[in-house]
Amino acid sequence: MGKKSIIIFWLSIAVFTIPCGPLHAVEVEALVRDAVHYYRGSASFSVVDMTIHRPGWERTLTIKAWTRGEKDSLFTIIAPPKDNGNGTLKKGEEMWIFNPRVNRVIKLPPSMMSQSWMGSDFSNNDLAKSDSIIDDYTHKITGTEIHDGKKVFVITSIPKPDAPVVWGMQKLRVREDFIFLSQEFYDEDLLLVKAMTAAKIQMIGGKLFPRVYKMWKADTEDEYTMLEYRELLFKESLPGDLFTLSSLKNPGR
Amino acid sequence: MYLQMGWRNIWRNPRRTIVIMTAVIIGVWAMIFLGALMRGISEQMVRNGITTLTGHIQVHHRGFRKDPVIENSIDKPEVVEAALSKILPQDARWTTRVRVDAIASNARHSGGATLVGIDPEREAEISFIGQAVTEGAYLKTGDTYGIIVGQALADKFETKLGRKLVMMSQDTKGDIASRAFRITGIFRAEMEATEKQFVFVTTGAARKMLKLGNEASEVSILLTDYKESDEVADALRGVLPSESYDVETWRELLPLVTAVLKIYDWFIYLWFLIIFIAMGFGIVNTILMAVFERIREFGLLKALGMKPWWIVKEVLAESFFLLILGMVVGNALGFLSIFALTDTGIDLSALSEGLEFAGMSRVIYPFVLITDIVAANLVVLILGLVVSIYPAVKAARFTPVKAMAHT
Repeated sequence: MGKKSIIIFWLSIAVFTIPCGPLHAVEVEALVRDAVHYYRGSASFSVVDMTIHRPGWERTLTIKAWTRGEKDSLFTIIAPPKDNGNGTLKKGEEMWIFNPRVNRVIKLPPSMMSQSWMGSDFSNNDLAKSDSIIDDYTHKITGTEIHDGKKVFVITSIPKPDAPVVWGMQKLRVREDFIFLSQEFYDEDLLLVKAMTAAKIQMIGGKLFPRVYKMWKADTEDEYTMLEYRELLFKESLPGDLFTLSSLKNPGR
Repeated sequence: MYLQMGWRNIWRNPRRTIVIMTAVIIGVWAMIFLGALMRGISEQMVRNGITTLTGHIQVHHRGFRKDPVIENSIDKPEVVEAALSKILPQDARWTTRVRVDAIASNARHSGGATLVGIDPEREAEISFIGQAVTEGAYLKTGDTYGIIVGQALADKFETKLGRKLVMMSQDTKGDIASRAFRITGIFRAEMEATEKQFVFVTTGAARKMLKLGNEASEVSILLTDYKESDEVADALRGVLPSESYDVETWRELLPLVTAVLKIYDWFIYLWFLIIFIAMGFGIVNTILMAVFERIREFGLLKALGMKPWWIVKEVLAESFFLLILGMVVGNALGFLSIFALTDTGIDLSALSEGLEFAGMSRVIYPFVLITDIVAANLVVLILGLVVSIYPAVKAARFTPVKAMAHT
């Protein structure tokens, strides 16, 4: 063994050991997927207060929500009474809304997908393409932080070249126990457009979970939408007939 | 003799003659020049309409024009293509397009736009888009992610060359189809509305996005002479069964333009008449003055044995010379001002928003229609002589006795 082969030996060790860290692409993807899964559970039921805040104006809606897997959700508003019964059903990438006043179910056309959902800072697209972060992006860990004594991975997600997403970049903060701490949306100039941040991590529904999520736009001050969980239950599964148009019309049976 | 007398008479008071001639000159100039401008506007409206993806004739699947959805596509464009190659004159051009209403969005903005899938080479020969790209490059066949947007849309979306634009629409199954495109070209059009409305991709890309096979939304045909449109359209209707195809000429495709053209026709003649009425009063007044000034003279002519009819002819000859002189100079000035504007046109960009509403261009080029010129001159000459009959008859009625009594 000459000097040369020793160098090769050390080099190959270096090459083989680096990918074993958390920086490995496959592991980052798994991390994001696990985080999304942790956030959604295999099925869940929740009651959420959604506060839409604007300068000099604020209103709160109470929403009952059921989710199953990454793709199916059903939301219905239970308070204030004026909006009671308004519902949204999402299956796959399609969405329907129900308005009890006119007793009509409307399938959301593409033209409405980028509009805001119930007047909040969430767009219909945010809901319809909630799993887009898994499929449409390539992820890379670009830093680590410490939060409550736990390690936080800062993940920079760049959309795949052909992916039909409008963002130029997303930045995620995922704690090592798979809790999403923040999700930031950047445009193609890599300027922040909007961000969602989580707070008040505590035990709800049998696991550690942020009680509060806040979505805010970067270029406006004092405008945000806050989601606060009142109740949250994670379940093994929910019946399939829950995510149908008929239950959109008669929710909460 | 009348002509000679008339000619000499009008120069007995040169100032008055020149004043009334000026009125005629301005009138004729206004008729010709403004008439040409109006024709220019309407001509350009037609041209804009035809090059903005209309063409002279279009073939659609039946019902597409009422409900332009993807389900109303032409199933077998090859049937139409076969018919076209049989019927169209040699030098006619045609292309197929895929066209759907879509939503364009990027990180900060979203809005409606018409997504047009084009065959880059064929399209360039037919519509404005072939020459309109000012930044970046025009589409190439086989380009799967390139998109060309208008300057106005790019400004509205705060985007630029090389940036992404996500298009969303409904595919053939009624599901949401979305596809990310990259802006490879930015075009400028005559009208801002066009820049905001249309975005262009290749047919291949559009078909992939919408899960279409070989289908097309429309076939657009450009003939060498638009006058052949009706004839060729009739021939096409004979071959393509009307239960599955709609064949329409630009007159039917652009009903607003057609209506405006008709209105303009009437408007121009009305305009001629209005100018003439203003001018006519001046003519009557001047001739009347000239006649009353020369009561004694006319009395004398009568006394010398001139018949009333001859006096009428003499006075009419005077007004004839006034009109002819005014018309010659007016026409010359009119043509000069039209000629001066043929290259530059009148730039109305400052008012473009209002003009766009009416479908007009930013720059107006005058357009001369021979019939308008003839009509304007005939109106002035004939009506001018007609209104001069009144003072002429007045002059013929003076009797020598009355004339003597007049001081």
